[in-house]
Amino acid sequence: MPTCKECIHFFPRDDNPETGDCVQRVVDPRQAYHKARPVGPEKDAAECTSFEKK
Amino acid sequence: MAEPATLENKVEERIKTHEEKQEWWWIAEKRRSRRLDYLRKAVWKKGALGGNYAPGIKLDLEGPTLFTDMWKRNHTDPIMLRRAKALAHVLDNIPIFITDQAQLVGYMGSLPHTLAWRVDGASIVNEEAYNEPGIHEEPQAESLKTVAELNAYWAGQTAIDKVARILDPEDAVKFLSGAIGWGAPTSAYGYSAKNYEYFMTGERAFEDIIDEIDANIEKAEEKTIGTPGPDILPLYDRIQNWEAMKIVLEAGIRYANRYARLARIVAENFESDPKRKEELLRVAETCERVPAKTPRNLQESLQYDFFVQIIARHEAHEGAWPSRPDYYHGPYYDKDVNIEKNITREEALDLIGEFMIRTYEVGGFGPRWAREGLQGITGTWVWTIGGVKPDGSDACNDMTIALMQAARLVRVANPTLSFRWHPKVSDEVMREIFECNRQGLGYPNLRNDPILVANAMHWHGHPIEEARLWMNQACLSPCPPTKHGQQPMRMASATANCAKIVEYALHNGYDHVVNMQMGPKTGDARKFTDFEQLFEAWVKQMEWIFNTLVRTVNLGRFKDPEFFGRPFLSAISERSVESGLDVVSPVGDRGNSWITAFTFVENIDSLAAVKKLVFDDKKYTMDQLITALEANWEGYEEMRLDFVKGAPKWGNDDDYVDDIMLRCLRECARHSKVIKDPSGNNWPILPENVSGNIHYANIVNALPNGRRLGDALYDGGISPGPGLDKKGPTAVLKSCAKIDHITHGRAFLLNQRLSPTQLAGEKGYQLWKAYVKTWADLGIDHIQFNVVSDETLYAAQRDPEKYSEVIVRVAGYSAHFVDISRKTQDNIIQRTVQGLG
Repeated sequence: MPTCKECIHFFPRDDNPETGDCVQRVVDPRQAYHKARPVGPEKDAAECTSFEKK
Repeated sequence: MAEPATLENKVEERIKTHEEKQEWWWIAEKRRSRRLDYLRKAVWKKGALGGNYAPGIKLDLEGPTLFTDMWKRNHTDPIMLRRAKALAHVLDNIPIFITDQAQLVGYMGSLPHTLAWRVDGASIVNEEAYNEPGIHEEPQAESLKTVAELNAYWAGQTAIDKVARILDPEDAVKFLSGAIGWGAPTSAYGYSAKNYEYFMTGERAFEDIIDEIDANIEKAEEKTIGTPGPDILPLYDRIQNWEAMKIVLEAGIRYANRYARLARIVAENFESDPKRKEELLRVAETCERVPAKTPRNLQESLQYDFFVQIIARHEAHEGAWPSRPDYYHGPYYDKDVNIEKNITREEALDLIGEFMIRTYEVGGFGPRWAREGLQGITGTWVWTIGGVKPDGSDACNDMTIALMQAARLVRVANPTLSFRWHPKVSDEVMREIFECNRQGLGYPNLRNDPILVANAMHWHGHPIEEARLWMNQACLSPCPPTKHGQQPMRMASATANCAKIVEYALHNGYDHVVNMQMGPKTGDARKFTDFEQLFEAWVKQMEWIFNTLVRTVNLGRFKDPEFFGRPFLSAISERSVESGLDVVSPVGDRGNSWITAFTFVENIDSLAAVKKLVFDDKKYTMDQLITALEANWEGYEEMRLDFVKGAPKWGNDDDYVDDIMLRCLRECARHSKVIKDPSGNNWPILPENVSGNIHYANIVNALPNGRRLGDALYDGGISPGPGLDKKGPTAVLKSCAKIDHITHGRAFLLNQRLSPTQLAGEKGYQLWKAYVKTWADLGIDHIQFNVVSDETLYAAQRDPEKYSEVIVRVAGYSAHFVDISRKTQDNIIQRTVQGLG
């Protein structure tokens, strides 16, 4: 079972490695941006369509 | 041989051509930096087009879901603490984003195209959110399921549900009919003035406030373990309130740190352009500094202010954006640009332009009545500039000018600028105001500062030093951002659809549109034998409408700490940090209430028409008039035209009708002192319309000014009816000047349309300046201009894509012309173009 910590989009927090962010680049019809969503490193990523192994 | 034209020369040539044609929107596009141009075009516009959201705009479900999850978990907490924990959970977990090129960050939804949704405000709005087509993310069935689940949880528990349960049932039904007013009596949807004098003067930021709170908690806790007595009993609740304030301030700091972290991640892992990398690291440094600590430079100052506004919007659906950016950011501009020369003037301008763009991007889901009433925008983000300092000296600075120049570059419709004019304003600043208006922004509007300072002292007893600090709380109402002057919540539900006053006076209080006995029975108007009987009925109906709305608002305000609560707004308000009370509590609030009087001038023209044609000239009987009105003038066209053309109309310096205006206003002013707000202060009226004149078109019945049900109402608070001001601009000013702008009401909105051709060049400026001098000398408190030709507006109607940045002044706000309904567009075109000189 892949977990978030194995993904290239996952960035652990230096001050608390038990948490981190899923950081992704998005290009929508008007603008491009980077977004961050808090996730835990052990979160199941089996169904995540953005998962990319490190 | 001539030199080959460089690209720069070609651009300048094109700009010259556009200048000759007065096509300012295309010039702006070419003049602004590439960065600013990208950011301007990147905005997902949240303002509704007419009444509908633009394609691609979606309802944010992340914020409401996070909020609700944490809310459920803390059901044993008192409301302020519970709300603070839920808000902190949102700030800690909602997805955040940084747009390419951005140097300022923060948004109230989870993605750039999302509308924030205040799920705990009103079930009636939640139902609209469920039913609104096109705003639900794919897969739609899943989104709708989430919305339905949230709605089911909040049904009966929202702030408005709670108010509605204790409101007098008759008041509730009449208020909810939508006929006499709009709004929601809760701070979930209020216009909250902010205590800028507390948190934005460079003396304190969030960490300093947390220290103050800690000291207060410590003192209170000591007392609670001391000698028993009644004085310590309120402290138990207050300690919990302080804890709530502290929770949201700490969450606010963490929220900013999340942006800092994202900026660093992008800079260090994704960005290859060294310049952009440097910008991102500056963003990171900025967000690590503010709002925790006081700003050190312009970017930090703007970011601090923006974080405050965004966090407040995570807490409530704020309908306005009271602010005075030149006054509070000006010292940082001066330090960075003039003293330390850390950044160039152009870089500062770019940053200020982005500050306006970031603000323009902000938007939450609003019910249809609000979207129709505020077409093209998501709230009245009116920023106040100019004015005076507490000692009365000129407050204009380089930032005042930079804001106006940036406004011309980015051409956003929200925020708009409102300029506090006073006799010491320099010619340089006046030219900037003129240039903005000449270039068709519709702003800054002009506010007569000496009059409005006196007005603030007259109506609400603000001391002069505080009154001089005023900023618009919504479109037009001055409010000091001070400890006791700051009104934390002004609920839009004290907004009266005033055309109903004369309508009810003519129909014995009965509303033929909603088919209900609304107002008191003031007599069968068919039997009125003189004008005084009609006027007496008018006064009674006016009192009834104002009383009904104000009762509702007072109740909502009084119960708000119990029904909703504002921990974050409290945490940035000196009164609350000091007392431990929710800022919405009326305790310590001096009071700054006003009744927004929509569709007011219809009363005057209607009463004048009846007086003239029925009672003076005896050309028609009251029986004939009421019959024609009940038929919506159908079958009575000749008679209707007589009431349009044969009766005197407001705005032509005609005492016959102007005296009726004064009589009506005096009655309103008298009653304004009878009705009191929860602080015991007055409720003056403020005639203006936003685009309520279009929203109410199908709600106000036929009137004696010749208007039919469905026709647009007049556009301004004291503007003459479109096309009815026949005697020129000076006559309009003379009529308006008969009003006492200090004692008759809080403020009076006046729209004027001027010819762009006439305002060309130095001659145009001198003409305009002379006109403004006349306006100021006459003691009129407000004026705003539309300077766009019919030709341009018709072209924009034909080809909206090509004219997307053409802006018009609607009422207390501006909008992009292509974003307002056809009816509103036509109403603006119909306004008389006044020739000056």
